[in-house]
Amino acid sequence: MATVENEEVKGGQAKPVGAVLVVGGGIGGMQASLDLAESGFYVYLVDNAPTIGGVMSQLDKTFPTNDCAMCIMSPKLVGTGSHRNIRVITHAEVKEVAGDPGDFEATILRKARYIRPDKCTGCGECAKHCPVTIADSYNEGMSRRAAVYLRYPQAIPKVYLIDREACIGCGLCERVCLAGAVDYADEACQEKIAVGSVILAPGFEVFDAARRPEFGYGVYPNVITSLEFERILSATGPHRSHVLRPSDGTIPERIAFIQCVGSRDKKCGNDYCSSVCCMYSVKEAVIAKEHVPFIKPTIFYMDMRAYGKGFDAYYERAKADQGVRFVKSMVSRVRQQQGTGNLIVTYLDDQGKAAEEVFDLVVLSVGMTTSQAVRDTAARLGVRLNAYGFCETNPLAPLATSREGIYVCGAFQSPKDIPETVAQASGAAAAAAGGIAAGRGTLATKKEYPPETEVASAEEPRIGVFVCHCGINIGSVVNVPSVKEYAATLPNVVLADENLYTCSQDTQEKIKKAIQEHGLNRVIVASCSPRTHEPMFRETIRDAGLNKFLFEMANIRDQCSWVHMRQKPEATAKAKHLVRMAVANARLNRSLGETAVPVAQRALIIGGGVAGMTAALRLAGQGFAVYLVEKEELLGGNLRNIHRTIEGEDVQAFLTDLIDRVSAEPRIHVLTGSQVTEFGGVRGNFTTAVTTAPAMTAQKIQHGVTVVATGAEEERPEGFLYGEDPRVCTQQEFEGRLAAGGEEAAGLREVVMIQCVGSRNEKRPSCSRTCCATALKNALALKRLNPAATIRVLYRDVRSYGMLEPYYAQARREGVLFVRYEPEAPPVVAREGDSLTVSFAEPILQEQATVKPDLVVLSSATVPRENRELANLLKVPRTAEGFFLEAHAKLRPVDFASDGIYVAGSAHAPKLITESVSQAYAAVARACTILSKENLMVGGVVAVVDGERCAACLTCVRVCPYDVPVVNLRGEAEIDIVKCKGCGTCAAECPARAIDLMHYRGEQLEAKIGALVEG
Amino acid sequence: MIVGNRKEFGEILEKLGTARRVLVLGCNECVTVCGVGGEREVGVLASELRLYWQKEGQDFAVKEHTLERQCDYEYIDAIRPLTGEYDVILSMACGAGVQYVAEAYKPRLVIPAVNTTFLGVTLEQGVWSERCQGCGSCIVDMTGGVCPIARCAKSLLNGPCGGSSGGKCEIDRDTDCAWQLIVDRLTESGQMERYEEIQPVKDWRTGRDGGPRKRVREDLKL
Repeated sequence: MATVENEEVKGGQAKPVGAVLVVGGGIGGMQASLDLAESGFYVYLVDNAPTIGGVMSQLDKTFPTNDCAMCIMSPKLVGTGSHRNIRVITHAEVKEVAGDPGDFEATILRKARYIRPDKCTGCGECAKHCPVTIADSYNEGMSRRAAVYLRYPQAIPKVYLIDREACIGCGLCERVCLAGAVDYADEACQEKIAVGSVILAPGFEVFDAARRPEFGYGVYPNVITSLEFERILSATGPHRSHVLRPSDGTIPERIAFIQCVGSRDKKCGNDYCSSVCCMYSVKEAVIAKEHVPFIKPTIFYMDMRAYGKGFDAYYERAKADQGVRFVKSMVSRVRQQQGTGNLIVTYLDDQGKAAEEVFDLVVLSVGMTTSQAVRDTAARLGVRLNAYGFCETNPLAPLATSREGIYVCGAFQSPKDIPETVAQASGAAAAAAGGIAAGRGTLATKKEYPPETEVASAEEPRIGVFVCHCGINIGSVVNVPSVKEYAATLPNVVLADENLYTCSQDTQEKIKKAIQEHGLNRVIVASCSPRTHEPMFRETIRDAGLNKFLFEMANIRDQCSWVHMRQKPEATAKAKHLVRMAVANARLNRSLGETAVPVAQRALIIGGGVAGMTAALRLAGQGFAVYLVEKEELLGGNLRNIHRTIEGEDVQAFLTDLIDRVSAEPRIHVLTGSQVTEFGGVRGNFTTAVTTAPAMTAQKIQHGVTVVATGAEEERPEGFLYGEDPRVCTQQEFEGRLAAGGEEAAGLREVVMIQCVGSRNEKRPSCSRTCCATALKNALALKRLNPAATIRVLYRDVRSYGMLEPYYAQARREGVLFVRYEPEAPPVVAREGDSLTVSFAEPILQEQATVKPDLVVLSSATVPRENRELANLLKVPRTAEGFFLEAHAKLRPVDFASDGIYVAGSAHAPKLITESVSQAYAAVARACTILSKENLMVGGVVAVVDGERCAACLTCVRVCPYDVPVVNLRGEAEIDIVKCKGCGTCAAECPARAIDLMHYRGEQLEAKIGALVEG
Repeated sequence: MIVGNRKEFGEILEKLGTARRVLVLGCNECVTVCGVGGEREVGVLASELRLYWQKEGQDFAVKEHTLERQCDYEYIDAIRPLTGEYDVILSMACGAGVQYVAEAYKPRLVIPAVNTTFLGVTLEQGVWSERCQGCGSCIVDMTGGVCPIARCAKSLLNGPCGGSSGGKCEIDRDTDCAWQLIVDRLTESGQMERYEEIQPVKDWRTGRDGGPRKRVREDLKL
């Protein structure tokens, strides 16, 4: 791996350093690192913990898709750990960042690990022999681990470390480590690195629930935090996913979730909302019930903040179909029942009376806070925090910290969920790259390989088999010499050998030498998992001039010695079966070529609102030409209707500045009054026809990436006398009237705001996300202009998530009245003579109330702009509500399933300006992973059609998740190798067996199975 | 396209009797598209047979082959050298293909592995629906593009009958009433006056009632 120490900037014209320091290796830090490394920058990823992965590695499932957190995160872990331009530095902290943007010098303190990373193979023999056990922090202290440990099995780097505070220095681990990796004399060391930008992604720590003593956390064993419950649900948790309570290991039937523990809580200084707890509690309740159907979860909440994409539908399903009970009430205390360990929960019921209910387990939905260590780091780096310890940012520039050149993303910026963290991380990557674009490619390295030896498919295979002892991991169970001897007898095997550690550096050299000496044209390693080790071995044989696809692996550790520890003879027999299968497959492995396709290094952005313009400016700033297509005559989109942010920023001034900068930027070609009429091509090479009004002139644009930023707008509401009475308007109209001047406001005696008009109903099940904030903003603005005005907000849940919550508190303080209504009994707006009346159910008085306001303001739904035709042209999917549908709800929030097309802003789902800006930056970072390359390599593991056999049945066309196959003019299916992702679905489904997935061809699978059964 | 169902494995075994040298013969046309007799299904059936006989400890030889079409003589004839080695040909084509193969290789035993069901369309991946019965005189121009012969359970020409309820046929709640569809389509296209026309009794001689059919085009003959 390249090392970069104090790179000197040469010449008079100082180029910025083409490297970025990313602090924190959670999902956000990993995403930022990958985006940067893929777009030509070198990355130092520093994490305090011994492994990257962050809190997401502790989660069981993720809402709203119920994807397994580890399953979806693993590829990112492996990708980050194996990227040649990312150096992962764990168990380390940033002491200092000196210098200026573009030319920082960061001081990193690496703490002693006592295990040498260059030698540790991650075999785990040390931990097996360690006599010490201590509470395992990965399982939140609910299980025990050794003093020498790996935080979790998928950890990256897969290097153990010794917890010297727990270690008794017995020396056992040193004795059993055959790799010689244990080093008790290891010391902390300091290193200075040169970087151009810094990204802070240190994440959060959960609120210390003991600070709310009325809930008895730390006193009553059956009161646990939500993160502890997450571990209990997990298959790698303390009870292997059995839902058992701590006191007696029984299944808790009645589980209470208490929301807002450490959030929305003035007493402990956390006035903000932690944004994710409502959803994770619903998820934990649903998953617990999936594990044990007789569990009865109850969630005690204040407002159900299911404001994200698809969240409300998830919540409604939990309520209606999955038996989760919701009680809108803040629990006042929890006591333990004498003798049973059960818990008595006190709360106010819907009649306003104190009620008590007994539960077997109480889960506290703890909020997000910033750890002391992160606060200290921020102080050392000179980065300002807000009143709550989160990073101070401007709503219109949410990625920049108070110190120039240092950027922020994720929960440290403000509490947020995984997809928003991932999007913001990509955004921070774009911001960090923006300032140092001139340094792109200066430090990131590309590997040069020797020319490839041609191996014709007709050439007789010459196979070398290397069987690994993996220390004693394999060798103590499987008779390795016997497997080696057996391998030598198999067809085409010309060399069989054994190694103590096949992954060690010297063995790589040995393999390369063997390839030359024995003229090997296939290599098999019988050892561990291809998931972690295949890339390395492929690299080794490629260094020796063999195509990487001529490598094959047999997993005789994870799938053999580890699972058959007590059946040694059978394990040896199975290892032989696995090797025989690998040989059968390797004989059919072929060299696969990859072709370079040149990239059109230009971007097309569709939509000239805040997201589109921001993306255009950032892309242009990184040196790429941009075509910005806007349907209207003027740029600005929905921003034209917004005057202030809730924080008080002047949006129109921001918009004017944005338009000025876009217009002045020579790399941006603005096409207003224009529409996309044709679209074709693939990532790196799209061709789009754009027609411009009024002359309807058409032009064709060649571009490498496409950003869809078509936005959304406020819906014209139905009912509530809207359009019939001038005294009924929408929030956006009201905002315009307030902005126009205070005269009208001064005359307003009473105003009623009605929330969720057109949202969260059968027709449009989702929440429009921004209307609660808009209502608060407008209510506060009116109060400023006319403090005497009576304002009633009729709401279902006030969804002032994150740092919006203090504005909700402020509005209540200033006398804005909030009255909750149920969807079954919505407010009624009517006319009585000349006056406007609003009647609604008053929940405290428990009677119907009627008021006569001067103005009724409707918080109307946010709906996507007309985009059906565009979606058809681009062949990208939309949700039932017409918003564009991203590739993956959690980890690919700005990508479409089709490569090279990205979504930003409200086209994806309703968003605040600050969120649209973050997402626009994110789209830029994703786009740069393509635009920064002159060529894209295509081919390798892709599906190939045998046209002769094809029956043109359309099965592949229908089953492909990426819409790649087409039936061509010859009446045969055709699969573009640039678009194909090699998932193999079409090959499996083809009824004519006309499709083969390269490297996994049907005959290979048959040969493997044949080899298995013949033995 | 012609749509079929593969026979149950037990039935196929029974039909094979003592034959253990089997040529499983697929067809790369309709039966491939409807997922009953293409190369993939040939592979599945052949594997089932091999696994079964292997488990039973019997000697056998199962060969897989798929023809471009089993309804054209030239394709069938191309496998003549292959057929000699096998006791039976297990055809996975439609009824037409099975017969033509049987005719070409008489007196060799040819066994159908597929039940041919109807002429239909793909509604979605994995779902097919009947559309035509080959009556020999098409009238769908009169009926809004919906064939009452194939899609009405009673093949009524002047429907619907009293069994139409809520747009569904009385035979089964999942079956659309063809006449409801016809009326809907005629309404949509403003052709309801066609519904008023009484259709005379159909001349079924062009269909199956006229006996087996044959068609000759003199201009195309060699």
